[in-house]
Parts: sequence; structure tokens; C-alpha cells
Amino acid sequence: MTEHKHIYQAMFLLDNEEVRKGFNASRDWVKTTLEKYGIEVKVLRLWGERQLAYPIGSRKRATYLLGWLEASGDAVNEVKRELYLLGPVFRCLFLQEDSIPEEELATGIQEIADSEVVIPEEIEEFEIEEPYEEPEEEQRATDEKPEEGEKKAEGEESAEKTEKPAAEAPAAEAPAADDNSEEVKKDGN
Amino acid sequence: MATKNSRTFDFKDIESLEVFMTSHGKIHPAKRTGLRAREQRRLKRAIKYARFLALIPFTS
Repeated sequence: MTEHKHIYQAMFLLDNEEVRKGFNASRDWVKTTLEKYGIEVKVLRLWGERQLAYPIGSRKRATYLLGWLEASGDAVNEVKRELYLLGPVFRCLFLQEDSIPEEELATGIQEIADSEVVIPEEIEEFEIEEPYEEPEEEQRATDEKPEEGEKKAEGEESAEKTEKPAAEAPAAEAPAADDNSEEVKKDGN
Repeated sequence: MATKNSRTFDFKDIESLEVFMTSHGKIHPAKRTGLRAREQRRLKRAIKYARFLALIPFTS
């Protein structure tokens, strides 16, 4: 049975770390992988290097590769598996189209010098929050304290806590008394 | 096939897609976009492709 071939538009999202080593090497890897599964690559060109809308695998920027292919549906499904498992491809999208635009066909397999592909460094890396650790000096100080001393300290604290409300209570009552006196005065007036 | 008057959307054309989205990244309803049902479905598909390729955010 002959497999019916369709035209596909494909977009590949490449890891900048791999592209920095050599754009042509990454592009060739994608091309050879596609061809391995019997996919005819008509166009494969750099679409752009840009910031991602959301981080993918701690990467904030990535390189986009646009392709126009002629392939069977089965081949596309099989090549997707390999693209994700091996190589520098984060994401890939295959969309069935009616025809290849003439402008794209004119581009063909784009040849660019590696130096022409400028990839800026990712300045802000995602930091993993480390659990808080007490400084060594403080840890030693806490270890050296005897248990009785701690108990005493706790006892003192509790005593202070009990005393405070008692001290505060008259102060709280005092204004109330004043208020009453004022009211009395007002009534008197 | 798109007819003469019907509108098509390209997932790569982010600026034209963002017109039909809120600042939070949600798609405007057809009532607001003024698109026909078929065009609204095309828009939805294009936005979802663009989201998958991290061209536009899912939400913000």
C-alpha cells in the first residue's frame, strides 16, 4: 500500500545552549532526523531567536526553526517521538497545509554562517530557593545552653506574660472610669 | 478552504492574535471579536498553537 503524502508546515523550538555551539549543526540534525523517516524537507530556515512567553525547562529564550515538508502522517508521528527524546528540540508543531508559499520555496534550505546567529546570554536564571540554615555560631550557642536554664527562661517569660495583663488591666479600666466621670459631669451640666 | 471574505489567522503573527486577547491572555468571545463561528474557531486554533510554542502566554 502506498502512503499518501501531505504538505506540512513545521515549527521547531530549539535549545539556545545547543544553537550557541553551532546553528548549522542543530539545523542539520533536525534535517537528517526528518529525512531518516522518509520526510522530504522542502524548506528549513531560521524564523527567529526570541524570548519565550513562559519558561520551558529553565530556559527563557529559544531559537525557532520553520520548515515546509512533504510527509505521510505516520512518519510525522514517529519523527516527533525522536525529536523530543533526542537532540535540541523543546517543542515541535506540524500543521497540514494545502501548498507551500512561493516565497518560502525560494528560501529552500537556508545556509547561514554560525556567526550570523546572535544569541544573547540569559541574564536572569531561575534561582532555586534553598532551605534556611542558621549560622554556625548561633547553632553552637543554642546547643551549649543547659536545659534547666531554658526552663527558667520559659518560666520567666510566662510570669511576665501573666503580670502584664494585670498591669494593663487598671490602665484599661482607668480611662473607662474617666469616661464615666465625664458622663456624670455632662449629666450634671 | 477559506472563502474570499473569510478571515484566516497565522499562529506566527502574534501581533494580530493579541488584538483578540485580553491583557491576561484570554481569548475574547465571538460577541466581542465580531467574527463568524468558523473564523472564531480558526482564531482559537491559531492562539492555541502560538501558546504551545511559547509565543504567547497561557495566562498572566
